[in-house]
Amino acid sequence: MTSNRILPVSRAMSEAIAEEMRADPSVFVMGEDIGTYGGIFGATGGLLDEFGEARVRDTPISETGFISAGVGAAMSGMRPIVELMFVDFFGVCMDAIYNLAAKNTYFSGGNYKVPMVIMTATGGGYSDAGQHSQTLHGTFAHLPGLKVVAPSNAYDAKGLMTAAIRDDNPVMFMFHKGLQGLAWMASPDAAATVVPEDAYEIPFGQASVLREGKDVTIVTLSMMVHKAMEAAEALAKDGVEAEVIDLRTIVPLDRETILNSVAKTGRLLVVDEDYRSFGLTGEIIAGVAEHDPTLFKAPPRRLAVPDVPIPYSRPLEQFIMPDAAAIAEAARASLG
Amino acid sequence: MTDIVIPTGLWDAEVTPEGIVSNWFYADGTKVAKGDVVAEIMVEKSTFDIEAPADGVLSRSVAKDGVIRPGTVIGHVNAG
Repeated sequence: MTSNRILPVSRAMSEAIAEEMRADPSVFVMGEDIGTYGGIFGATGGLLDEFGEARVRDTPISETGFISAGVGAAMSGMRPIVELMFVDFFGVCMDAIYNLAAKNTYFSGGNYKVPMVIMTATGGGYSDAGQHSQTLHGTFAHLPGLKVVAPSNAYDAKGLMTAAIRDDNPVMFMFHKGLQGLAWMASPDAAATVVPEDAYEIPFGQASVLREGKDVTIVTLSMMVHKAMEAAEALAKDGVEAEVIDLRTIVPLDRETILNSVAKTGRLLVVDEDYRSFGLTGEIIAGVAEHDPTLFKAPPRRLAVPDVPIPYSRPLEQFIMPDAAAIAEAARASLG
Repeated sequence: MTDIVIPTGLWDAEVTPEGIVSNWFYADGTKVAKGDVVAEIMVEKSTFDIEAPADGVLSRSVAKDGVIRPGTVIGHVNAG
């Protein structure tokens, strides 16, 4: 078996799912266009041919119905993976997600498990407008009872998907469309990585320090990891050494890695493609401030989407979306 | 040296003459085994996997996003 394959995130996800389906007959997949089409973002390619219609189930366009069905299946001993095609569609099925999946273990005094993965596409940048371009990390991370992951590359995507399927709790697997390596949507080169063929897990709650630096800590995730790495390259040319942390998991959150880094650099910039207010960026800054506000040599900063719907207009969308130049500028500003 | 050729008949080339190489799954100069999916091509919005025709070292000649037609040689496998 060769181990030098470079897979895009989409194929890393489908490989993780296929391996778990081979190993465990209780694992199955359902969602809109996940069968014949292979998922509109390629996360279930090839599964229908191998496993058949009983385990790879195309559903009608009723998120309310099939996500609720997933909760019931999970509580009855199955391990469903359900695709919510765009995270923006959560509105019609949120009762199933946050009142049923997230809380039924608690409500039943631990007598029921809900081993379910909800995988969902996030992010914008390709003019798909305000109901197909949101990221919404904070919306799901805010609610007790859900684990939330958001990988930035194929290696992490496979390991996190395997861990998500094996977890006895509901997991939101939030993947960015622009990282999938699809033929019709540009993807950063670094999102495709060497991916081992055998199954492996990436434990939840472990961030990854992608680049070490002593001057400023940039905490980010998903697509913004690639923008932050580009910014760090630009900063390095000016002699500024940025430390870039890829969270990988939002819930549980690896606060220790963040604290250790800020203790070293004294400067914190948090970057997210989600909305700015009441979200992930503020939570991470608050966590450091609560622990020890004297770690900060400068006011912490956050860069996120301003509190407006994602515009359809390409120039407007690009204007609101954090990019490498904006990240580098914010990092420089924190250096004073 | 074995050519990696885009097969004829994967799609109706009368309707859509050209596609692109949408992904390479192995770096140039790395070892591949016969049957490994080495590349993916896209025609309209359909994708097809392209397999290595032999064991050996991959040499890519059409870059990612490069144009292909049925019969296009996108690279070679050189027996080590």
